[in-house]
Amino acid sequence: MTARRNEAYRTLAELSVPSEPGNERLAMEEVAGTVEGLGLPERTLERLKTAVAEATMNAMEHGNHYREEAPVFIEVSASEAELSVKITDEGSGPPAFTQETPDLEAKLEGMQTPRGWGLFLIKSMVDEMNVTGDEGHHTVELILHLDDKTSTSERKEASDGRTAP
Amino acid sequence: MPQAQVTMEVRKVNDGVSVIDVKGELTAFAEGVLMDAYNQASDGGVRAIVLNFEGLEYMNSSGIGLLVTLLIRVNREKQRLLTYGLSDHYQNIFQITRLDDAIGIYGSEEEAVRAADTT
Repeated sequence: MTARRNEAYRTLAELSVPSEPGNERLAMEEVAGTVEGLGLPERTLERLKTAVAEATMNAMEHGNHYREEAPVFIEVSASEAELSVKITDEGSGPPAFTQETPDLEAKLEGMQTPRGWGLFLIKSMVDEMNVTGDEGHHTVELILHLDDKTSTSERKEASDGRTAP
Repeated sequence: MPQAQVTMEVRKVNDGVSVIDVKGELTAFAEGVLMDAYNQASDGGVRAIVLNFEGLEYMNSSGIGLLVTLLIRVNREKQRLLTYGLSDHYQNIFQITRLDDAIGIYGSEEEAVRAADTT
């Protein structure tokens, strides 16, 4: 992955959305519009939109605590090989994600909360997810590999025997 | 808190099966609407609930959590939960989360109701 990260990235868009409930849809549509020219397969685009929405919702809720004056910043950039979407909030400390791997049976038996699917969904939708932070910001970076028609996450599902329709 | 951007109409298709037509967004804000629809759909000892997702515009992780909450209630009442009308993307999410192990996915209302009637 290091070689990939040394490639030249060009910034496609820098966006911001106010931290208001429901604005994750605005973010995902803006990002979808930004990457329109990359020719992503429909299925990959839908997965990216879900990952962007989940990461933005987490940033608005847990990073910015839905303070309207604290926007979520989104930077979309691409190299020949990768698409990167960085989602930054104004939170401090480690980003708040439920770390427990969701297990449907455990949830149905009351051993886990019914919620807590966000991080799991993001990781399932993109090829890489990196989380960084300092005293005043958290950034979640979502990466899609552009050099494969089928993304790594989709191939992983297929090899697990969980081929999507 | 914003209002739920969703409507859910309940139709009883026979003595044992009710359909909930979901139109709009399944997010945390849909909780009250979904549980009200479930209560209405369960009226009269219904044994299977079919969720019609043909009108689903958006579902997020909170919506998935709501479906798990609904499943817990359905299982407690010894009912079954089935669905049809899911897009390929949301079928994929049902597979990833393994919701498809607990909620039968069908291609049409006719298939879902037939499955509910025969098991």
